[in-house]
Amino acid sequence: MKIQKNTDCDVLVIGAGLTGMIAAARASCLGLNTIQTGNSSALFFASGLLDLLGVYPMDSGKIIKDPYSGIKKLQSDQPEHPYSKISQKQIRDSIQFLTNFLNSAGLNYHLSGPGNKQILTSVGTFKPTYAVPETFSNGCDLQRQEKNLLIVDFKGLRGFSAKQAASGLQKRKGKTYTLSIDLPGNKNGLNPVHLAKSFESKEFIQELSDKILHFSSKTQIVGLPALCGIHNSFDIVKTLEKKIGMAVFEIPGMPPSIPGLRLKNAFEKKLSNLNATFLSNAKVAFQSMKGDHFILQAVNDNLKTRIKARCVILASGRFPGGGLFAKRNMVLETVFNLSVFQPDTRSQWHQLDFFDSKGHGINQSGLETDDTFRPLDKKGKPVFENLYAAGSILAHNDWARLKSGAGVSCVSAYTAVNSFYKKIKIMSN
Amino acid sequence: MIQTALQIAISLSIIGFLYQLFSFTRKNKTFENRKWLANGLNIIPFFLNTFLQTKLFSAGKIRWMIHFLVASGFIYLVLIHALDDVTSFYFFQYYQPTVDPFQFLRNLAGGFVLAGCLGFLYRRVTLFKVLYKRKIHLKGLVSILLILLLILSGFLLEAVKIISEPVFMEMVEEYSNLEDDTDLEDLKIYWEKHYNVVFDDTLIITKEKLALGKDLNEEYCIACHSPVKSAFMSNSISRALKKTSVWLNRYRADNFVYYIHYFLSLLILVTLPFSRLFHIFLIPFASLEKNFKKELLSLKKGYINTATLYACTNCGFCSDVCSVLPNYLVTKNIHTLPHSKIEAFKQLMHHSPFEPAALFLLQSGNEDCTCCHKCTDICPSGIDLQNLWVVLEQKLALKGFQNNYTYIDSKSLKEWTGLAPEKEKIPSSRKVTTNLADNVDSFENCIQCTICSNVCPIVEYDLVGNDFTPHQVLNLLRLGNKHLAAGTCMVWNCLTCFSCQENCPQGIRVADIMLELRNNGNLRADAMKIENFTNKKAD
Repeated sequence: MKIQKNTDCDVLVIGAGLTGMIAAARASCLGLNTIQTGNSSALFFASGLLDLLGVYPMDSGKIIKDPYSGIKKLQSDQPEHPYSKISQKQIRDSIQFLTNFLNSAGLNYHLSGPGNKQILTSVGTFKPTYAVPETFSNGCDLQRQEKNLLIVDFKGLRGFSAKQAASGLQKRKGKTYTLSIDLPGNKNGLNPVHLAKSFESKEFIQELSDKILHFSSKTQIVGLPALCGIHNSFDIVKTLEKKIGMAVFEIPGMPPSIPGLRLKNAFEKKLSNLNATFLSNAKVAFQSMKGDHFILQAVNDNLKTRIKARCVILASGRFPGGGLFAKRNMVLETVFNLSVFQPDTRSQWHQLDFFDSKGHGINQSGLETDDTFRPLDKKGKPVFENLYAAGSILAHNDWARLKSGAGVSCVSAYTAVNSFYKKIKIMSN
Repeated sequence: MIQTALQIAISLSIIGFLYQLFSFTRKNKTFENRKWLANGLNIIPFFLNTFLQTKLFSAGKIRWMIHFLVASGFIYLVLIHALDDVTSFYFFQYYQPTVDPFQFLRNLAGGFVLAGCLGFLYRRVTLFKVLYKRKIHLKGLVSILLILLLILSGFLLEAVKIISEPVFMEMVEEYSNLEDDTDLEDLKIYWEKHYNVVFDDTLIITKEKLALGKDLNEEYCIACHSPVKSAFMSNSISRALKKTSVWLNRYRADNFVYYIHYFLSLLILVTLPFSRLFHIFLIPFASLEKNFKKELLSLKKGYINTATLYACTNCGFCSDVCSVLPNYLVTKNIHTLPHSKIEAFKQLMHHSPFEPAALFLLQSGNEDCTCCHKCTDICPSGIDLQNLWVVLEQKLALKGFQNNYTYIDSKSLKEWTGLAPEKEKIPSSRKVTTNLADNVDSFENCIQCTICSNVCPIVEYDLVGNDFTPHQVLNLLRLGNKHLAAGTCMVWNCLTCFSCQENCPQGIRVADIMLELRNNGNLRADAMKIENFTNKKAD
């Protein structure tokens, strides 16, 4: 027997990924009564890096240095892309809002310089990104540095190998060393979250710095997997730097991603301060419209919540998030059954080559929207007055290839909430 | 003849006593490292519980009252009345059973025992339904009925003696030198009036004769015979018997009732070491040693003196307070309850054949015990019950019925999967309520992202003792190896904190699956244990 509960809100955010979090953050900052639903683990898959635009044009695979000039080009080339619906100023504002918000939650982002930074990944490749957490900042643009570098891994830690990470650094001028640290009492392998927790103990930091110093005093900069603590990573990195007398930076890797977990904690801490409600692991279904209000039902393990909302921000993501569902022959939207832009036939979903530079057709699918990110029906009109879509569910947006995931999330969520807020402001005046 | 009977009864009783001691010692030998009084002496509670039944008092006031009536009355009767040749005559110079206060006290004590016995029986009858539901059977009934008969025959004997003319005549002949018939008549008149003796011939009562009778009574009788009024119980019975007195006197009913009374007491004496009455000796014995403390549970001393188990009077208090009584109400496994486990334990110690299904039920019932210590605290007999359950667990393990976790843990995973019995017979009516592990839909969405393992507190704090992590268990399911998954430590170590389920990005019911696998493993291990046991027996 499930308990029935009724609740009202101004804004219902469906989704707890980066987009959902930003939407909830913006709405509660504007003083709107906000409810958020979604899977608590969505941000375990976020790298913690804020990409704006890393590659453009897509099929050239060319890494761009200045994201804003890239966006300008994109806006003129692809009017249907989410970035093309808004001005550069709005993009800057939204990024500014996000970094300020995270700053106030204790998660500092490194934004020095206008251009993209090159970040070393755990597989030894370089990834362009716009902003990185402070703990990553020493690792920006490593190829140009001449300092001697040490990359450390932990025996038994899955998904991170110092040697593999160093394989991308062969052309560097400075020397690159690798060190594999064997932690006592670990026979069955290490898990990232548990290792990150042990970074929070002073003894562990002492032991680690002893081992690094024992290995080498020739290096000037040390790269660690992105596991340096969950709650106060910046302080931990600073302590470690002081102990070993070298600069330290983190290297992003496979999920579960600790920088993503830090993002999640920062958002959750701040949102609960702002009195936003979070319904964890609730499955949301749209029931009806009552006047201007949406009536939805969120079903949890033991709770059925009937939500009456003035505005819904659909940030449910694509296929892994469950916002889109791929049947054999077509793609559906799961909450409102909106019309989804998608390749005409199944055969156009994928290219034969997984790494084809043109990208896969299925990755262009999603919801088409107007300039305020309201989903459109087949005739090109907004389906609901106050339904907005944001993040990866938006169509014409191969964010993985363009390296624009966080940027699209941030910009669309921020703009959607702002335009709803503007609307009710005008109405109340 | 009576002397011989007494000697035989005493020797039989002593032999029985020794036999019981011998059997307890032999059973105690089955414990290795046995150490009597290892927990230390319990002096003050020993005296309190032996003489005042303090534990029974705290368990139930009315039952203490009933027990106290029987116990105090019975002890008085045994010491002052039954053994008067060696006690009362020796201690009290003027002792005669028919002299006050002894005459009155004997009736009072008899009344106590009678009331107590009736109280016991009344409780059994009124609580029949409750006790029957918990299968607390009517035990010790024979002892109670024997005592009841003994007391009733005692009252009857006294009553028959009061009205008996032949007894009067014998006494007159023995203790007086009356030769005159008129004197005898005067005394008869006085005794008929004041001592309720019923005479065959009709006597004419006059004031002068009564006065003369009173003088004679004072001369010969009053030293040994207080007025019969103080024998309030027997006197009232004797009044009721007045009409049949002629017939009773003619056939010397007093002798007949005397033999009944005497042989009943001998019967009680002989059966003492084997009846419920033996608790008189065993409860003090059980109270002598300190009980196993809750704090010491982890030490698992593994020894209990079997003699203390026979101090159990099957009163059922332990089952009334048992924390897992609700388990019994659901599973209907009577061996969940302490009073039944203690009986089963005694049976185990007798090496009497036990059905594997019954052993299995005993093990699974005993496994439900939460070690809350309530049964030990309440046991009026002072039996060290909490310790007993620990010992029982070890005994069962030696018989091949250890708890399922250690059973599975003692096998390698490969062995475990190969050990499947041909037909999985499940002895109880337990059913698997969820069906997740067999249903591909419930776990096929797993993307092996390891978030469940990352948030699992078991994996975090027990890297060495654990083998598989949650995402690996799910992978075993994906590989179609449900039985292997049920044998992993992870499934049995799971705290069901639901972190994995809460955090799974694919919405898989990871914790529910763990729980279901554990249930499956339990059922399988049960079936295997029973099969192994039957095979061993066949060999």
